[in-house]
Amino acid sequence: MIHFLFVPSLRIGIIGASVTLVLLAGCSRPDSNKALTIAVNAGVEGSALKAAAREWGELRNTRIEVVELPYANLFEKESLDLQSRTGAYDVIMLDDPWFPKLVADGGLTPLPREPDGDFLASTLAVCRSAANFYALPYVGNSQLFFYRKDLFDRYKLGAPDHWQKVLEDGKTIGAGEKIFGYVMRAAPGNSAVTDFMPLLWAFGGDIFDPQGRPNLASPEAIDALRFMVELGKISPPGYAGFNAAEVSAQLLQGTAAMSINWPAWIAAMDDPSKSKVPGRIAFAPMPSARMPGVAELGAWLVAVPAASPHRDAAFDFIYWATDPAQMTQAALRGNPPTRRSVFQSPNLKKNFRAFPAQLAALEAARPRPRTTQWNEIENAFGVSLSQANSGAASPEEAMQRANREITAILERSK
Amino acid sequence: MTRRIPPGLIWVAPALSVLAALSIYPLLYLMKVSLTDAHGFTIAHYARLFQDRLFSVAAGQTLLYAAVALTLEFFLGLTLALLVDSLARGRALIRVGLLAPMLLPPVVAAVIWRLIYNPEFGVLNGMLRQLGVNTTSLTWTSGRTSAMLSVILVDVWQWTPFMFLLLTAGLQAIPAEPLEAARVDGAGYWQTLRDVILPLLKPVILLALLLRSMDLLRIFDQIFLLTQGGPGSATETVSLYIYRTAFRFSNFGYAAAMSFVGLLITMLAARGLLRLTVAVPAEPPCVSMRTDVIKLS
Amino acid sequence: MKTSLKYTAAFLALAAALAPIYWLVTISLKREIDQFASPPLWFSFTPTLRHYSAIFSHDAFGRYFLNSVIVSTCSTLIALALGLPAAYGLVRFPWPHDWARGIGFWILSNRMLPPIVTIIPLFLMLRELRLLNSLSGLVLVDVALNLPFVVWMMRGFIEDLPKEIEEAALLDGESRIGVLLRIVLPLVRPGLAATAVFCLIVAWNEFLFALILSQTESAMTVPVGIASHVTQYEIQWGAMSAAGVVAMLPVLIFAAAAQRYFVRGLSLGALKG
Repeated sequence: MIHFLFVPSLRIGIIGASVTLVLLAGCSRPDSNKALTIAVNAGVEGSALKAAAREWGELRNTRIEVVELPYANLFEKESLDLQSRTGAYDVIMLDDPWFPKLVADGGLTPLPREPDGDFLASTLAVCRSAANFYALPYVGNSQLFFYRKDLFDRYKLGAPDHWQKVLEDGKTIGAGEKIFGYVMRAAPGNSAVTDFMPLLWAFGGDIFDPQGRPNLASPEAIDALRFMVELGKISPPGYAGFNAAEVSAQLLQGTAAMSINWPAWIAAMDDPSKSKVPGRIAFAPMPSARMPGVAELGAWLVAVPAASPHRDAAFDFIYWATDPAQMTQAALRGNPPTRRSVFQSPNLKKNFRAFPAQLAALEAARPRPRTTQWNEIENAFGVSLSQANSGAASPEEAMQRANREITAILERSK
Repeated sequence: MTRRIPPGLIWVAPALSVLAALSIYPLLYLMKVSLTDAHGFTIAHYARLFQDRLFSVAAGQTLLYAAVALTLEFFLGLTLALLVDSLARGRALIRVGLLAPMLLPPVVAAVIWRLIYNPEFGVLNGMLRQLGVNTTSLTWTSGRTSAMLSVILVDVWQWTPFMFLLLTAGLQAIPAEPLEAARVDGAGYWQTLRDVILPLLKPVILLALLLRSMDLLRIFDQIFLLTQGGPGSATETVSLYIYRTAFRFSNFGYAAAMSFVGLLITMLAARGLLRLTVAVPAEPPCVSMRTDVIKLS
Repeated sequence: MKTSLKYTAAFLALAAALAPIYWLVTISLKREIDQFASPPLWFSFTPTLRHYSAIFSHDAFGRYFLNSVIVSTCSTLIALALGLPAAYGLVRFPWPHDWARGIGFWILSNRMLPPIVTIIPLFLMLRELRLLNSLSGLVLVDVALNLPFVVWMMRGFIEDLPKEIEEAALLDGESRIGVLLRIVLPLVRPGLAATAVFCLIVAWNEFLFALILSQTESAMTVPVGIASHVTQYEIQWGAMSAAGVVAMLPVLIFAAAAQRYFVRGLSLGALKG
């Protein structure tokens, strides 16, 4: 076998090697009659789209390949594909803050027709760039406040509608029940930023001021971070390294009383095979502080890359998957919808007790800043937040540093 | 005469061209990318390196990681090599067992240690609880200071066997005469170790340190899978930061500049170590490595 | 030192090296309820093969496994086919000055390039060659990874051979290629086999290139597949451990096969790490 391989390569030198490779390439190219390749987030949000894709494939008699990628490198994969026009994916599922960057690189195809008015305005807004829509909203995630209704009742505490009350009630319940009063995630990057934004907004701060300048060194922002660190004292140790999985595990195991979480997890919380506390968690809007509470929008969108070799089929699929009937199916699979009609469908409302709260939160949800630099900003910001929470920096230092770094990031992108 | 093409070249050419295509070209390309931005030629990426706090943090931590892991692995590896070498029976079996961790895919090592470190469900805290230790504050990979220690421990677990392997080879290559002579002179164990064994091992020791430090300075896989650089930036390393900059922030120019500087530092470190190696009055380690195939059985 | 003390220490070290691997295996064989039992269950649990059947019925894992097999085998064969003649050429031909040594070192130094440094240009290069997300692209980069090692190892093995047999054959009118195939090859076969095993291990374990150069399941290898379990939201410990065990087995089998050559192979093999 070895004889056979090296004789030609010896004789023809370089060309021999390349011929071997080209031959290999011929044998191992993925077959081209596959009609649609779909990149989805590995996890609750992606599995509904995966199921829908299978059904659509049978319906249209088309082959489907679903690529499930973990959140930690979904963006990298999609961005590399879009930037280098490799056309590996026909449909991508994307987190809404990635949208400006992916559109700016010219990687997404504009929608052939405008989305209908049944989609909630807050979720449509993040699919638009200038005059065009480039994506359809698929998952209507906006943060909800999860709390243990049974424990709040036991200690005769009213709903946690104010952050100060969250802290005090957390201490009361934590001490009484020997559990953690609160649980949050402050791992650097997406996690820390996501759990901090509602605090920042409730304390009257924001990442940028109205003129678009970074504004994290403001007293409001520093106070918000100080408060986050206070909350950390009633959170499980090590929360500065937590991601969504750890937070949800604490709730499911009944070892924490409150947290910010996504509606996509509601189904798991009520599923007795996964949860020790089915039916005992209530879902409320974000608590207020100096300002009314605001939830962060975390919508998942579906879009068609410009380099997709099967754009027509891809558009056919994403319009189909987001139509009211399919979105109802997705809702039954645990995905929060983006259509008003689905939220208000009497059949679904029966099964999904949190729908009214979800709809209210989603309509008022605020997106993260729409900037092409979001990933880098989120990284710098997240590292600072995580450091403050792990005790490696004071809140003042952390916020001033984040502000300086975000300023530098914007400076460089000019 | 010397103008003639050496006849061996045709034999070497295929290999050389494949390597040139896959290493020289990439380096040149990287150089070009590191010196351009959207507007053309620039040295801004290099200039930025000097002000980038995250880069200096990552560089500092990479060095810390490499230094601590290297020291631990060396001393553990040496101790084990001497210990196992002095056993009368069962050496071969113990050696094979000790080598297992270094063969595993780094991804599998990361999986194993996730199972072990998980603060609530992991076996480490489970065992500590069994011993009556309060583990609530033992968060391993998610603690501010423990995270670094935890990832270093994984490296030590996986790569001490490598040190052990090289040093065992070195020990077995030591001829019997000087050891015999030391014994006749009445030298004790420690004296023999200091005056005879270690000097003879020096080339192998330096080779082992060189190879390990190159790997340690580029550490990526385990940290990527265990902590992604967190919490905060407690376990951020240069490789991780380059990866993020290129593939998450899509800033290939800056990533390329960092790659170059990182490569330069690694090369200088290697050169320094090689110098040391060559200065040793024994045959260069590369040569000695070729001559001794040590059988484990 | 007392002998018994020495043995105790050696067995403690052995336990430290092997216990984590053993733990992985037990988790992969435990039902969920036993996985997180406190105190941990080391020996007494009801074993189940459920997690193994789960990963193999999940069609993607079979695909990853097949991809890994194809990539490591092809890259090893090509690296040997290119590396053996190169090593022969370096050893057995007259070179002016210090060329042979210089070329040898240059080839070896390629092994020292950190993958993170070359991955960006390689990605762009493979895109131009339309080899992204293909097994052949991965084969190509793994060849580059292993080739220096093959040349370096085979050089040593060929140097160890007596020159006289080859010279006699050349005098008998045998061509150089004939000498390499009919005389050198049979003599270095054990060394070649050992080298092949180490190349297989390196290619099998390789992570970063496979992570970045693959886009769909058709080009993902086992380490990439496992990594997506590790970083996922909801971690399935059982499936992840079973996948880990399956990924580890071939490596341990390869290594057992080439046990005799551990030192020479792994010490240089570790240049890549």
